[in-house]
Amino acid sequence: MDWNRIVGEAFGQRQMPEDDVIDELAQHADSAYQAARAEGSSGDEAERRVRELLRAWSADPDVLTRRPRRPPTVVPPKASASGLAGFLGDLRYAIQLMRRQWTHTLVVVLTMALGIGASTVLFSVVYGVLLKPVPWPDADQLVRLLETRQGSTRPMRFFTNVTFLAWANKPTTIESIAGWSTGRMTLTGTAGAERLNVAWITSGLMPLLGVRPALGQWFDVATGASLDEQQVVIDDRLWQERFGGRRDVLGQVLRLDGAGYRIVGVLAPSFGFPTRETRAWIPFVVKPGGLSMFQAIARLKPGVTPAQAQAEGNARGRAAPDPGLVVVAVFGSKGPVQVSVTPLVESMTGEVRPALILLLVAAGLLLAAATANVAGLQLARAMNRRREFAIRAALGAGGGRLARQLLVENALVGLVGGACGLLLASWLVRGLPSLLPSDFPRVTDIAIDWRVAAFSIGLSLTASILFGLAPALHAGRIRLAPSLAEDGLAPVGGGTRTATARARLLLMAGQVAVAAVLLIGAAVLGRSFLALISADRGYDPSHVLTARLPLPEATYTPVQRAAMLERVLDRLKRVPGVTAAAVSTGLPLLRGDTLAAFTMRSPRDGATVQVHTSIRHVSPGYFAALRLRIRDGRGFTDSDTAAARTVAVVNRTFARQYLGEAPVGSRVPAGYKHGETDAEVIGIVDDFSSGAVTDPVAPELYRCSLQLSDGFDDDVPSLIVRTAGDPARLVPVLRSIIGGEDASVALESVMTMDNRLASSLAKPRLYAILLAAFAVFALAIAGVGLFGVLSRIVSLRTREIGVRTALGAAPADVVRLVLKQALAVTIGGIAVGLAVAAAVGRYVSKLLYGVTPYDAVSYGAVSIMLLLVVIVACIVPARRAARIDPARVLR
Amino acid sequence: MTTHLLARELKRGSTELLVLALLEEQPRHGYDIARLIDERSQGSITYQVASLYPTLYRLENRSLIEGRWVEKAGQRRRRYYRLLPAGRKVLASQRSVWEGFFAGLDRVANLRRA
Repeated sequence: MDWNRIVGEAFGQRQMPEDDVIDELAQHADSAYQAARAEGSSGDEAERRVRELLRAWSADPDVLTRRPRRPPTVVPPKASASGLAGFLGDLRYAIQLMRRQWTHTLVVVLTMALGIGASTVLFSVVYGVLLKPVPWPDADQLVRLLETRQGSTRPMRFFTNVTFLAWANKPTTIESIAGWSTGRMTLTGTAGAERLNVAWITSGLMPLLGVRPALGQWFDVATGASLDEQQVVIDDRLWQERFGGRRDVLGQVLRLDGAGYRIVGVLAPSFGFPTRETRAWIPFVVKPGGLSMFQAIARLKPGVTPAQAQAEGNARGRAAPDPGLVVVAVFGSKGPVQVSVTPLVESMTGEVRPALILLLVAAGLLLAAATANVAGLQLARAMNRRREFAIRAALGAGGGRLARQLLVENALVGLVGGACGLLLASWLVRGLPSLLPSDFPRVTDIAIDWRVAAFSIGLSLTASILFGLAPALHAGRIRLAPSLAEDGLAPVGGGTRTATARARLLLMAGQVAVAAVLLIGAAVLGRSFLALISADRGYDPSHVLTARLPLPEATYTPVQRAAMLERVLDRLKRVPGVTAAAVSTGLPLLRGDTLAAFTMRSPRDGATVQVHTSIRHVSPGYFAALRLRIRDGRGFTDSDTAAARTVAVVNRTFARQYLGEAPVGSRVPAGYKHGETDAEVIGIVDDFSSGAVTDPVAPELYRCSLQLSDGFDDDVPSLIVRTAGDPARLVPVLRSIIGGEDASVALESVMTMDNRLASSLAKPRLYAILLAAFAVFALAIAGVGLFGVLSRIVSLRTREIGVRTALGAAPADVVRLVLKQALAVTIGGIAVGLAVAAAVGRYVSKLLYGVTPYDAVSYGAVSIMLLLVVIVACIVPARRAARIDPARVLR
Repeated sequence: MTTHLLARELKRGSTELLVLALLEEQPRHGYDIARLIDERSQGSITYQVASLYPTLYRLENRSLIEGRWVEKAGQRRRRYYRLLPAGRKVLASQRSVWEGFFAGLDRVANLRRA
């Protein structure tokens, strides 16, 4: 029996209870009927009894109503409350609202957390790397010194002994000057061999920094003139590892590269100069004569500017004795000395500064987009609460009173979002050291300290006041009658008629603009990174394994070294899968070129030319191992031995600058000395970038290692092995070959050439990825925001659309109506975004390679992408609009 | 007029007490409640089924009980009601009111004959 129908009929024309109640009564009726039948009543009798029941129920249908369950209502604070009590009331009300509308709260808090988290991470990096003082007393007086010669095109990388000594003698603008250089040495002892990062420092360096050893003292300079160079100060880790932290370490001897060094001091673990990885410091004395290069630092006298010190440095350097031709080899110019004096922090971080500032600005933009998004959401919510505000205003609450409450609500949401952002940031910052490239400066100085936390909290308060402002202003202007009237919620022409609607569209356009700027930045940086990866470097990095093989002077003479290298190469070439193997002085992407300057007779016109070139000593397989392109003539072969005629290969830049039209066959000095003509140029090799692809290519002169009568003079030669398969597979073979030759030799920097290239590009990659992440997030914010705004507009315009449909508008017309508004907003936003991107483009150009900041492809792609996102965001609201049924809406 | 009002209030009060007391044992549906009142009073409480559902809805609106649809395989879905903590308190206070009332009646009118 269909009891639902029977129960429904019992109520007949009278007020019909809701379906749920009918259902429940039908269930009762059914049970009663079944029970009656079970007691033995006939079907008619049972039905009669149930119908009696139905009559009783339907006698008074009014009491058969179940009110729908509602969430507990929140009691708004009293209108008259003021001062602290009022504030606490507002706060309580805000917390209740947040909990009740938890989905809204979640969206807002997450959006703010991401915006503030990103900004906080970037600020902590910028603060720790660029702004935080270095940990030495009066660090603002510390300056880095570099030197070059007027007319040189090479980047400044060092200081010279000549200028150093000239300046160190009674300086006027600086208190003291000190120098250092870095390298690696092999530590031997009972615990086995280990390669250490070592710094050679002048005895004045640590007093200049104002640092004292934790144990012992600095180098013993009390005796004056003759400094004992066989002393060493070690770091805390070495002290713990090799000496178990015992105090009697002082006076013991450390064996480095086979020589003994007396330990005079131990440094605190916090010390990290010149690098964090430095384990031992050995004295070095700047000697006159010749030209030696190293790093230099000075402490300015109080009140002296770097520019003043620079002027003195120039004057001193120019007055110093001229070291001669070698200057040309080093600087590529013989012009007057030019000294550069830069504050220490700036010199440490100058390279990453533009990128960090760019990323900080990007994070700021992201936060702005997040804030605009939240402002839009809060504004929409304020619109939904117009009736609440209107009623409260009618009951006596002033506009200012309501505005205050809205501000409290927004500040609370903002602070919670900020706290989550700070939490997110502290988590991210902890992971930074492993994310940042290994050569990123001052990584250990990056932390979330009170300044960063204060920044973050300040930021979230500012943002929340900004996104609370629009709703609060709105609340202050509540007009009673229209807000309480039913139609007040659905203004005709809803899109842009009211100030609130316009504010919402403006916020939306702003988000699109921010997304456009960030996307263009990410696209341009990404394309620049791709250009860097795929740039023609002149060599082929794939399938190449490289390593450095330290063969120190103490154990290997150059002749022994050459013999050892030849044996290693012989064995390597016999390994299956190895297609070429070579040794050379220097390796692409590793600094440490040997430079030479000499004069020679130009083959072009017989005039004497001044040559400055870098020199590489390479074994015959070198060109094949790196796949360098021989343009003319040939490369070295195994028959180019000491017994054969002396030959040389030069790169195209060398040939173009010094050799003229027919370079092959011309003669150059084998010993790089003036007047010699003992080596014949047999081949011209294409230029290749030995450093970054952006560095200018210098002239290069190659000699065959088999022809070097003095043996192989580089004590850390580089091995280059080309394989048919995966080069990384060769690593154990290589190690066992080296171990088989000399167990005390430890290979270092074993890397495939691809990895070497990738790590040299780690920074541009990081910048591109970070900016892309920001851009994607901004795009998501804009897309979701647009969706929300459009949905709202459609629901506000339901009546209007209903009227239009009733008057004959087709669904396509309605869709066009929605799309038109969305596209207007987006195109406006994109236009602003493109304009801003173009305006700031020139600040980015320093970071780019192979692409301009006004790259048309990026601009076009970003515009199309944003339009697509907008169309996707439109689909649902537009379809909903098209389905509006005029009969229902207008009833 | 007064007696009419008293009768109505008495009835309403007692219906609430009966429903709450039955739901204290376990969740039940409406028919179950009606059947139990009939059975346990051995027909002595002439109980008008018509007022059961309005009572249930009223109690539910006051958050003393909570109804929930339960579907079991092969059966109509049924709405089961369970006692909420607030209902438990109301039940306790109604019990003591009724107890006091009966004790008073007893003392005055000697209801419980030996």
